[in-house]
Amino acid sequence: MAAEVRVLYFGEAQEATGRSEEEFTARDTASLRNQLISRYPDLNRIPFRMALNRTLLKGDSELKKNDIIAILPPFQGG
Amino acid sequence: MKNRYLVRGPITPILISELMTLGNDDAGAGAVSIFIGKVRDDATDGKRVTAIEYSAYEEMAAKEAEEVIKTVRSAFSDVRSVIMVHSLGVVKAGEASLFIMVTSGHRDHATRACRHALEMVKERLPVWKKEIF
Repeated sequence: MAAEVRVLYFGEAQEATGRSEEEFTARDTASLRNQLISRYPDLNRIPFRMALNRTLLKGDSELKKNDIIAILPPFQGG
Repeated sequence: MKNRYLVRGPITPILISELMTLGNDDAGAGAVSIFIGKVRDDATDGKRVTAIEYSAYEEMAAKEAEEVIKTVRSAFSDVRSVIMVHSLGVVKAGEASLFIMVTSGHRDHATRACRHALEMVKERLPVWKKEIF
């Protein structure tokens, strides 16, 4: 079932979307990714990964209500 | 600041000297290895970087920093403490933005663990930069 989730944008993803966070409704991360790219085509240029509730995702995952998904461009610390 | 791994602005010489005292009560630590990363004044398209503005996913950064420390400690058994701090916000060229300190009984694990921690920080810490010209 589709769930309401909170999406956080970081780094270049903030510039590509013009915002730092928003709500989405999605069944899983694959569906969320498709929605993100279709709403913000500029995100396609960024090889972003996603974190689910602060943990980096290795594959796709189902989503539950109130999950927090972070859109993470390549890290640049140091 | 929400966590002890992130500090607003540059890592100043005063902060560095404070961080360096953290291992002082452990007389069994015969070796201390420190890495300090600084902002470089790189040139791109004829423009020179004057500063970098860092941002982070702060809650995840704290969790990842703790994971890095745990991994380093389990990989290098002689390690006695690991301290790491990354800057957030604006850091000018020439100023420090990353501090890593590892103490251990002897030199071998201090130097290797410090290098290992540095590579893991670069790979795992959710931090981003924006160059200012």
